[in-house]
Amino acid sequence: MLDKPASALRIRERLIESERLMEETGCYDGITELQLRNQDPLKFETLHTKLRAYCVSAREMARRISASPGVREVGEMVVAIYTPEGDAIALSNGIMVHVHTMSRFIKWMIRNGYEENPCIRDGDIFANNDAFIGTVQVPDVMDVVPIFHSGKLVGWAGAVCHELEAGGITPGGDVALAQERFTEGLFVCAEKVGENDEIRRDYVIRCERNLRMPIYWVLDEKAKVASCIDMRESVKALIDEIGLDYWMQVSKEFIEEGRRAQLARTRQLTVPGIYRGHTFYGHVTKGKPGYQPLGDPDWLYNMPIEMEITTDGKIIMDFEGTQPWGYHSMNCTPAGMDGGMFVTLTQHMNFEGLVNDGAWMATELKLPHGTWTNPDNEMVATATSWALLLPAYGVFQRLLSRAFIGRGFVEEAFVGQVNSPMIEMGGTSQYGKLFGMAHFECAAAGSGALAIKDGLDTAYVGWNPESDMGNIEIWEQNMPMLYIGRSIVPNSGGAGKYRGGCSFVSTWLVSKTDHLRLVTSEHSSRVFDNGGMCGGYPAPTCQKHRAVRNSNIFELAEKRAPLAHHTGTNPHRSELELRLQGEHVTMEGPYITAPHKTGDVFTHSYNGGGGYGDVLERDPLKTAADVENGYLTKEAAEGIFGIMLDEDEEGYPVANIEATKRHRAEMRARRLAQARPVSEWIASERSRVEKADFAPEVTKMYASAIKLSSRFTREFSDFWNVDAKSIFMPGAKP
Amino acid sequence: MTSYSKEVIADLVAGTLPWPQTRRVMSAYKDDDRFFKYVAVLQNRVGWKDPILLPVSDHLFICQSGDERVTRCECGHSFGDYRKNWKLKAAIIVRNTEESLREIYPNSDIPDPQWMEIREFICPECGTMHEVEAAAPGYPIVHDFQPDLEGFYREWLGKLL
Repeated sequence: MLDKPASALRIRERLIESERLMEETGCYDGITELQLRNQDPLKFETLHTKLRAYCVSAREMARRISASPGVREVGEMVVAIYTPEGDAIALSNGIMVHVHTMSRFIKWMIRNGYEENPCIRDGDIFANNDAFIGTVQVPDVMDVVPIFHSGKLVGWAGAVCHELEAGGITPGGDVALAQERFTEGLFVCAEKVGENDEIRRDYVIRCERNLRMPIYWVLDEKAKVASCIDMRESVKALIDEIGLDYWMQVSKEFIEEGRRAQLARTRQLTVPGIYRGHTFYGHVTKGKPGYQPLGDPDWLYNMPIEMEITTDGKIIMDFEGTQPWGYHSMNCTPAGMDGGMFVTLTQHMNFEGLVNDGAWMATELKLPHGTWTNPDNEMVATATSWALLLPAYGVFQRLLSRAFIGRGFVEEAFVGQVNSPMIEMGGTSQYGKLFGMAHFECAAAGSGALAIKDGLDTAYVGWNPESDMGNIEIWEQNMPMLYIGRSIVPNSGGAGKYRGGCSFVSTWLVSKTDHLRLVTSEHSSRVFDNGGMCGGYPAPTCQKHRAVRNSNIFELAEKRAPLAHHTGTNPHRSELELRLQGEHVTMEGPYITAPHKTGDVFTHSYNGGGGYGDVLERDPLKTAADVENGYLTKEAAEGIFGIMLDEDEEGYPVANIEATKRHRAEMRARRLAQARPVSEWIASERSRVEKADFAPEVTKMYASAIKLSSRFTREFSDFWNVDAKSIFMPGAKP
Repeated sequence: MTSYSKEVIADLVAGTLPWPQTRRVMSAYKDDDRFFKYVAVLQNRVGWKDPILLPVSDHLFICQSGDERVTRCECGHSFGDYRKNWKLKAAIIVRNTEESLREIYPNSDIPDPQWMEIREFICPECGTMHEVEAAAPGYPIVHDFQPDLEGFYREWLGKLL
């Protein structure tokens, strides 16, 4: 049974009481006045700083225990300290998407009677990776330990690591082939996995027998438990110092202060009103090997988002009009959607005040039941939930940025970046052993532009603000492939006055294996998913995969002949095709084929970010430097940006300002000549809409949105002056 | 309270403030007097007298024009009542062919024009490109921003319009 909670109530009753107080007063736990903060603000702030230091220190220690390059190199980890009811008080840096998903996990255990069975005792360890309980996807495995003081439950310490292998139908963690949850891998459903500060042997055995690479998972478990115990002991020592009553009150005041700080920041940085945006996600799966029958069709997802900022400073995000959940791995749970909100807020707004669950409480998500944001079926797969989650929150980044521009905080406006395709693999390693892992260099794609400067080149993804691609040598130790190139992709940032950050492409030689399965996920080149802002263009689509089987690369190396180190800039003939002989493969969307073996060559490229502002305003001098450094081609500088470049005596590009002015004037005139009034375009396009003269995937997308959302139906009908229902759902009841 | 001169704000908005200084502005406490200085900087930039009430994009502003509040391009072109979607009064170029998409994406893979098109919204007078939408064919044009102008001025800025 539960050792006594700090209040007279049992923890489940306390949780219900806390929620009731919030409902009644609008303040966290009914705290209408920050008494302790008012009494001694310095003590108050110092204590929170200490808690944050405990978290950061515990995370750094855990990273050094972990064996996984995902955690060690890329930092795919976060830790946090919670109230007894499961609300985050303080958190570390890292993948803070999980701070609130862990909160959901703790509350789920409390609501489901864990006090009685399996009991919550000092020294217990609980783990979870079930997204319907509280996480984003199967590889996000979280551990929490209760914190007891004087025999009373006074809080929780929690830690999450993103595992590189989850034991699913394909190796890795983002199991793209999952049709339902039964193929996603090893589920740990809010289980007690340890007692007396020790992980249970039977749990470790289960991991060892169900994972391709258990060393990552098991050592990460130890890393997480060590960090939780470290935080727990620090909190207990702090309570010894400040007293239990003070702790119980101050920990809640921290959260209420966090809520108020978020509201104040919103009022300070934004403009109230309604903001709208949308993005799309295309997935090409039809007929691909491995896809199960229900998951076979190609998909086009529509993600309309309406954000309201109220005059109170509350941010409300509404996903009405989006698509239903499906028999694929890209569904998301409300926990994952919360996580997306949290990681976006912590990057874009939470740079003052106390950052904790209070910020989340100053927001609201409207997730229509039955959609991919809130499936009404807990059997759906969520293994690649980031595929839809990230584009959606990329829109949120742009909507917030619109608000910052309105208010004048242009230095905070950031087009963002929404997704980067992941490569995973398994089979036989270069050491002759069974292996499986996700390659996490994807955590360093190109960011969107800012409103005052270009985006970050190969240095950003939405889910991990630390964004590290990791050292090539470390990845080579863990996979049977050798880098023969890791290069910037020219023109891969969205064009604009400020361009998006460029992405990179990796080119590998498969080495010392006769069985390497490569699987990629989360994208197709059919649609843009990184939009631009204020006249900037979207970033290019995801790139196709290119491989050469049975290449002659060893012969070429023997002769010291030129090799292919990247794909090049000819869209019709890649460097691989130019320089290597063998069986050439170009594949759109997920790469799922028969195993590769030594001598094969494979490329994988990541996303760039969207652009900001009109391309014809880009600085010619900056562009010359971009061309010199390989971020832009000379042809793009001239053709897209209207910037004419000459060469100096040493052959370096220099901007020709006068020629640029002339060329841009011509481009502007051509633009005006080509353009026609929007009203004319609407009138001519209406006939196409009336006939639903669209690709089948587009028609299906509209039909499903119209079926789920009366608002989308109304807005579509009003805009085109048509009856959307009769067009896309003929025979449906009016 | 943090505060910057109008010159610093002007350089920041123009993207010409040196990076170390910009970085300090990003990391420091935010300046509560930013909005009106920002608007003053923008007002100096435009060639017309109607007072700017709220910027909505890089070169697009809501301004007071006589008794009306309209969305106006920096060149002076009016897109009409700010409560209505300015895009409906703009000029448009739609890229929905491989050839037209390739002009912007010379070496990358490009979307399937059957799945997605680019819509460029342009000022019909000066040719400034104000927004670019990427959308599936048939998707309604989005109304990006409907500010609560009255609430903003009254409740957040403490000033009547």
